[in-house]
Amino acid sequence: MIRSDILDLMNMVMKKRGREPLADEGQSTREAGFRSLDFSEVALRIESKVGRELSFEAASMRQIETVKDVLDFFEEAIKG
Amino acid sequence: MASILLRNRLFFGADAPCTWADLLEQGQAWAGDPTGYADRRVVFVVPDMRHACMAVAYGMAHSLDWGVIEAARLSEAVEERFAENGVHLIEAGSGAVLGRTPLPAQVQPGRVTVLTSGTTGLLKLIAHTHASLNTFDRVTDLPANSWFLPYQIGSYAWYQMVALGMFVADQDLIPGDFSDLAESFKTALSRGLVTAISSTPTFWRHALMSLDEALLASADMRSISMGGEIVDQPILDRLAGLYPSARIKHIYASSEAGAAIVVSDGKAGFDAALLADTDSRTIAIKVEDDRLYIRSPYGNTGDQGGWIDTGDLVETRAGRVYFCGRAGNTMINVGGQKAFPPDIEGHLMAHPEVVWAQVTARRAPMVGNLPVASVVLRTPMDEADAEQMLITHCEGTLAEYAVPRLWDFPKQIPMRASLKS
Repeated sequence: MIRSDILDLMNMVMKKRGREPLADEGQSTREAGFRSLDFSEVALRIESKVGRELSFEAASMRQIETVKDVLDFFEEAIKG
Repeated sequence: MASILLRNRLFFGADAPCTWADLLEQGQAWAGDPTGYADRRVVFVVPDMRHACMAVAYGMAHSLDWGVIEAARLSEAVEERFAENGVHLIEAGSGAVLGRTPLPAQVQPGRVTVLTSGTTGLLKLIAHTHASLNTFDRVTDLPANSWFLPYQIGSYAWYQMVALGMFVADQDLIPGDFSDLAESFKTALSRGLVTAISSTPTFWRHALMSLDEALLASADMRSISMGGEIVDQPILDRLAGLYPSARIKHIYASSEAGAAIVVSDGKAGFDAALLADTDSRTIAIKVEDDRLYIRSPYGNTGDQGGWIDTGDLVETRAGRVYFCGRAGNTMINVGGQKAFPPDIEGHLMAHPEVVWAQVTARRAPMVGNLPVASVVLRTPMDEADAEQMLITHCEGTLAEYAVPRLWDFPKQIPMRASLKS
């Protein structure tokens, strides 16, 4: 699963909730309205796609502020 | 003990009706001399519903310490369970003793062994008597009815209905074939026999999905009872629409507590005034720490006299008490917020395109758990469209954390042996 696939999943979740798509990686997740519930949903959808449970590091999760941080985080988690 | 009403009838499949007198006679010929069982706690192993009813007539008529189980349910673990409880498994007909030698047990003539798998899936043996099973004994002037009997042989609900057929005047039974319940219900409806049913909401949802609506509506349905699961407003409304002249009630009962609450005002939950009335009611109910407790003379003998913790969570809203599910496995913690699956399921099932819904928790990073939904739709549609439709339905009514995040759309409603989902 590549970075653009993850972004597609994030935007699918945004669209379902009636929100604007994420414009660029520098955008703040807070300003974009990408919330912790959305993050968790994307995580589960990625798990379904890759067919295994991912391990997430709590410390890294707390540092997430931008769309780029989310993409980096999931990329790392998938590499596992 | 109350006399068996030998003239009440039973309709098995497409066969001509028979009476309890016929079944008692057949049971007598089949099981033989009852003195051979008088000094033992026995459970008769039967091949089908007709033989189960024969065993009931026989066990009741001779006040044995008895019960009944269908042969298909036997396994090594089940046989072990009976042996631990001092029960002799008897293959009625041959008289052969099945399973291993049971531990010694005190024989109690008149005891009826009711089987329940409970929520744990482990077979439990609950002691009852004909009196505690005959929960209709205080109902006066029950109109003549033919009850479709959908329950599994040996379960509490099954015995209750059998007791109704045995001990209450003019109450005929139409036992369903548990191996193909929908087909046997269809047969009974086609014969124009069914005027009453006791079942679960899942049974009805299944029937509404799998049977022709015109056939369902053709029944001269006068009495519908539901229990065993939370009875939600949408299913009450749907059945009221289908059977406008039927008396529809939902009953709260359990194997341990017996029948305790009967609601017939067409609304989900029950009137909170029942909680205050502990003196005039034979069956008392109370709520402590959001849990429902019951004191009932219909409770099994082991718990006689005391309050029984039902393990069910309730919530009072606007003078009405609503069931919220089982304690311990009900609430979903979503990032510290509490989401209750029964509330979410009830809201989903209020959507006209939803036949059945079940909400569970799935572990998720950051928020701990997310609610995920399994939904059976009335008509097939694109899953992404269905998901969007239901999210829109939930938004604005449910809290954001309670809106399911992942969706699954099975084609059939799952139904367990207890007729629950």
